[in-house]
Amino acid sequence: MTRNSRQWFTVLCGAAIVLTVGCSSLKTPATADVAVSKAAVENAAGAGGAQYAPLEMNAAREKMALANKAMVAKDYKLAIELASQAEADAKLARSKANSAKAQAAADALDDDIRVLRIELDRTSK
Amino acid sequence: MKKHYSTAIVLAIATLVGACSSGPRTTSLLDQTRSDYRMAQGNPQVATYAPLEMKQAGDAMAQANDAANDNDSAEKVDKLAYLAKQQIALTQEVAKQKAAEAQVANAGKERDQIRLQQRTNEADQAKASAQQAQLAAQVAQGEAADAQRRTQLAQVEAADAQRKTQDAQARAAQLEAQLADLAAKKTARGMVITMGDVLFGTDLARLNADGMRSAQKLADVLQQNPERTVLVEGFTDSTGATAHNQALSERRAAAVQNALLELGVARERVAIRGYGESYPVAANDTAQNRQLNRRVEIVLSDNSGKISNR
Repeated sequence: MTRNSRQWFTVLCGAAIVLTVGCSSLKTPATADVAVSKAAVENAAGAGGAQYAPLEMNAAREKMALANKAMVAKDYKLAIELASQAEADAKLARSKANSAKAQAAADALDDDIRVLRIELDRTSK
Repeated sequence: MKKHYSTAIVLAIATLVGACSSGPRTTSLLDQTRSDYRMAQGNPQVATYAPLEMKQAGDAMAQANDAANDNDSAEKVDKLAYLAKQQIALTQEVAKQKAAEAQVANAGKERDQIRLQQRTNEADQAKASAQQAQLAAQVAQGEAADAQRRTQLAQVEAADAQRKTQDAQARAAQLEAQLADLAAKKTARGMVITMGDVLFGTDLARLNADGMRSAQKLADVLQQNPERTVLVEGFTDSTGATAHNQALSERRAAAVQNALLELGVARERVAIRGYGESYPVAANDTAQNRQLNRRVEIVLSDNSGKISNR
């Protein structure tokens, strides 16, 4: 009897652990994913994503809002999907902003060089 | 007939089922993503600047392809394809960014080089103009030195001319003094020195000691004034034959010439002429007057050696 009850206890404990882990594995990654995506969106906004890549930035923000709604609705699967899409959009927006800024710097420098060359040609005559 | 009909239907169904089941599922988004992926693969900048992002894009692409090959739902395929598509676009953007940054770095170097060249040019120009200025200064200095030298030369010449003038004046003064000593008279033909009869023996054509002294003085004058010549003219009184008197006058003139030649005067500087009884300076009535007529006149030339004839 004591041996039987002890076995039952072990089974119950195991079930509890499985449930806990199962629940946490479903809920925690979704929260983490959404948090990571949120950070990515904020990062993109800080890099000038709204200015240089408004389309991607809007998409990221909308999907972020939808992911938050899904979290509230406890639809964690949808939340993770939307969050990952929002993250992809935000990262793209950020890299678009960065490349546009780098290109602008390169163009400015090219202009500089062109002016300098004209000046050099004029003074060396 | 009926059997044929049923066979056709079975075939059609089999074909449809086969078509559906066989071959991986694909969507337009997946096709688009694959096309994007191939373009990224063909972009050399991606290989150079964004290999890590490209690998992530490749992984995402593979997941989408796997889902399509496993015949997963179009919805799932599209979701994965979308993530892959965004990752590919990001890869392209990162490659563009890195390329632009590399361009910036290169352009910066180029700009520095141009600026350096500009400075070099400016320095060269400054140097050239400095050299030009130095050259101009040297030229000016040279001109100034030249002018100074010319001034000194002019001063020397002026001093020289002054000295010559002084010399000439001194010589003229000396000549005048010496001629005064010889009792020279200024006439229209020039200075005339008269050697009286007392310097000759009577009727003789030889100078006595006094005469030789006068000749010596005259020779000194000629020595000191090499540009001058003399004309020695002999005269007599009217006593005796005309021919004799003519000959005597010539001999007396020649006597003076010989005396001068002996004293070192060149022959071409001493011309002689005898006039006999002509050109008396007094009437031949008294002995004193006749003595005045017996004479030798020595005409001194001007500076150019010319003597006008009587």
